[in-house]
Amino acid sequence: MSHSNDPFYAGLGQAVRLGTELIATLIVGGGLGWAIDEYVLETEPWGLVVGLVLGAIAGGRNVYRLAQRWQGGTGKPNQTKQR
Amino acid sequence: MQENPLHPFELHNFIPIEVSGLDISINQAVLTMWIVVALVAVLMMMASSARRLVPGKLQSLAELLVEFIRGIILDTMGERGMKFFPLVTTLFLFILFCNLIGLVPGSYTVTSQIVVTALFAFAVYGLSLVMGVALHGAKFLGILVPPGTPAWLVPLMIPIELISQLARPISLAVRLFANMTAGHVILGVLFGLTVSGGVLIGWLPFAFTIAMNGLELGIAFIQAYIFTVLTCVYLGDAFHLHGHDEHAH
Repeated sequence: MSHSNDPFYAGLGQAVRLGTELIATLIVGGGLGWAIDEYVLETEPWGLVVGLVLGAIAGGRNVYRLAQRWQGGTGKPNQTKQR
Repeated sequence: MQENPLHPFELHNFIPIEVSGLDISINQAVLTMWIVVALVAVLMMMASSARRLVPGKLQSLAELLVEFIRGIILDTMGERGMKFFPLVTTLFLFILFCNLIGLVPGSYTVTSQIVVTALFAFAVYGLSLVMGVALHGAKFLGILVPPGTPAWLVPLMIPIELISQLARPISLAVRLFANMTAGHVILGVLFGLTVSGGVLIGWLPFAFTIAMNGLELGIAFIQAYIFTVLTCVYLGDAFHLHGHDEHAH
């Protein structure tokens, strides 16, 4: 618990969070697009393409919002006091 | 000879049990989880048995923990979230002790199995969905359209928001799993270098192994902490649909 107050470990936590945030939306977007291609519309490969693009947009947007929220904070990942 | 760094993640059955085609054998992961549960239960019972006004070492540690988790819940969910206190505390302690026990050389890291982390992540996310629908009904679909979206952007925002909602449990699961696995692979590789390096050069990777172990100790805490915070954030999102969207992810 003392670790989460250390700026080094807090920064590490943030970095790790941003990385997975990007990957996860890409996985979901690409997966959904591929599933629509394969099982619903049979529009290969356009579902996958659109899905990946939407996933990338969603990931970029999430990371942007997170980074904006952390900006100017103490570096702790749960800067939620500003609401 | 170079040891395969993925070798420590293989599961070996101690007691093979099969019930109607279902494999419920006792392996290292199951055994480690039992140990973790027993350890947490015994520690917490010992900490809360004395209940002195001036707390001893163990009791003050437990009180610190309770205050810590209470702080997270109040930050993200407010006073209403306190009914999730037992769930959140259990999750935190279980994940933390799984991570920590995995650092003991020769032990097994349960959280390096994506089954375990994915189960927790999808359970938490499912709970938040159920709660959101129960509290808000059809209005819960409003999470797909962030406030302040111009009307012409709505058809684009709905798939994007849908994707980022569905990505929540996956990022939760993958983060814990990937961090634990990667850390232990690095430790394994470094220690393999120590063994194959011999006395002459082996001390260098050995020093790195020790340093990495210290870093992993921090990661163990951070990952348990992040998982707990995000659990609270996702549950809190089901309470208040909008207005808190800024800290939603």
